[in-house]
Amino acid sequence: MLAGSAGQFSFGHMAFMGLGAYTTALFCHYLFISPEPTGICTEFALGSNYLVIKNPIGVTSTTLAQDCLAQAMEKWDGAVAVTRMPVWLGIILGTLVGGIFGLLIGLLVLRLRAAYLALFTLGFSEILRATISAEIQITRGQAGIELPSLFENGITIAGHVFSKTDKIPPYFVMFFLLLGCLAILYWLSRSRFGLFVRALREDQDAAAALGVNITRYKIMVFVITSMMAALAGAVEAHYVTIITPNNLMILQMSLVVAMAVIAGVENFIAAAIGAILIEFTLEMLRISFTIGDVVIDMTLWRLVFFGLVLMLTLRFARNGLLPPLINYFTRAHVAAETVAKLTGREPDNGAPSTSGGHS
Amino acid sequence: MIELSVSRLNKRFGGNHVLKDVSFEVKGAEMIGLIGPNGAGKTTLTNVLDGAIKPNSGTVYLNGKRIDQLPPFEVAKSGLGRTFQVTRSFRRMTVLENLYVPALALRKSHIGHELKEQAMEVLESLTLEHLRNEYARALSGGQQKLLELGRLLMLDPDIIILDEPFAGVHPKMMEVIYEYIRRVNEQGKAMIIISHQMDSIFALCKRLLVLNYGDLIADNTPDAVKNDSVVIEAYLGSTEDRSGTGQHDAAGEAK
Repeated sequence: MLAGSAGQFSFGHMAFMGLGAYTTALFCHYLFISPEPTGICTEFALGSNYLVIKNPIGVTSTTLAQDCLAQAMEKWDGAVAVTRMPVWLGIILGTLVGGIFGLLIGLLVLRLRAAYLALFTLGFSEILRATISAEIQITRGQAGIELPSLFENGITIAGHVFSKTDKIPPYFVMFFLLLGCLAILYWLSRSRFGLFVRALREDQDAAAALGVNITRYKIMVFVITSMMAALAGAVEAHYVTIITPNNLMILQMSLVVAMAVIAGVENFIAAAIGAILIEFTLEMLRISFTIGDVVIDMTLWRLVFFGLVLMLTLRFARNGLLPPLINYFTRAHVAAETVAKLTGREPDNGAPSTSGGHS
Repeated sequence: MIELSVSRLNKRFGGNHVLKDVSFEVKGAEMIGLIGPNGAGKTTLTNVLDGAIKPNSGTVYLNGKRIDQLPPFEVAKSGLGRTFQVTRSFRRMTVLENLYVPALALRKSHIGHELKEQAMEVLESLTLEHLRNEYARALSGGQQKLLELGRLLMLDPDIIILDEPFAGVHPKMMEVIYEYIRRVNEQGKAMIIISHQMDSIFALCKRLLVLNYGDLIADNTPDAVKNDSVVIEAYLGSTEDRSGTGQHDAAGEAK
């Protein structure tokens, strides 16, 4: 959406995914609810319970019980049941943090266009990655931080019991989130908001001259997409249950942007379908094959093919591969309409299109 | 009544003093031509009035409201609309969508039947109705100019500044634009038309403003301006041989 509708490429959305992921990770890692005060941790009364904040101890051996909560647990010896914070709350928090940072970054990059915006967000992403790597005390740095699964206690749907490592429930969670995001984007693209965002992609100055508050809409786009990225990051983190700063690598985001470019940046549905297709193709291409004596190791070559497709797309189909197909089905009537109206009437005003026009 | 009051506007780009103490007033549905050689500051003046550029000093009031420090979108909402020298349609949006943008920006309404009807009326008056679902980029240069004028109708401002509405336009399309300008003016809107085409300006306008290197050197009726020796020297006499009046020749010699 950011890239397509508003015409702004951001490589920083990987950073927002990371922000979302780390927010929920830290939230679930450090905050606990305990019915009894520990006496040694930082803690706040919360109704009849206590909100316990575990002290950061960095990377240590797991056999040592060094953090305050673990020490307290040892003291209680199983008498007190401490619960984690709910995963969904972490995910919501992650999304909000993504939105807040989206707002801040959006304010900062407002005046930047095209390549500069891409560079700035790239820089932001790298800063964030470096910060997370360096703050070993809190984020455990390159060792990564563990998260509870999406459904830590398993889940029962329609009589079928899924364990916490089952892949089906998280798949459907993500699938519905995708549908949800697409639905929001679809609604936005049909509304005033979407119209204005596209207008400012086409021509900021003209949009402003026609009364569109371009600053507000640019920031809103940034915030919305940042929140979506953060949400995706948070959910994914709970799915893989461990995140490291490398999740924020630029390569990932370039892959996403590239997917969108190949499939068509202007149409977010095309971009989503394209991303799915490309991900599939990339996985399929892992299968090596042999031509005569030569073994083509596709695990090495698949990205080369991918790059080739990307380059060819950029050269020959600037809008991506899918929109022309979509347009063929949805806009076929338009040309017919134009032609019909033109032939049905004396060509009294069509003349300038061929004879005058530009100068 | 429409009242635009521009007083002592100054704008410098570095050492280039583009507008020098420019002052004038527009009262009611006037039809004003703004002329001057290239680099006279016509477009800069438009940009300052529109809010795209902030003046170094001076004030602009529209209907009693100060607009010279407002961002362009606020100026547009206050009732000043403008076109651009180079046509700036939203190319990858349909003709109808192009018209929806200003209407929706102005009022908090949604895309509905009423809005579509209003847009279709505008398109019919501009002879563009058959192109309503085409992308703007599919339109010819002249048609895009008409579309830009149509967007202004949807914005419904009190005062309209047209920057070179006739440049590169076929004579037949020109008639449509003439017709548009006259009709919109009759609806009670003030118009400032920037053009190098003297015939059109003289035919349409009852008052001319002449800019020369940032100075407003004349503000008078077309006939008076035509015979104004300062103007002739600065502009008419030095660019084209028009009517061969006595003053003209005198100015030519004076050069």
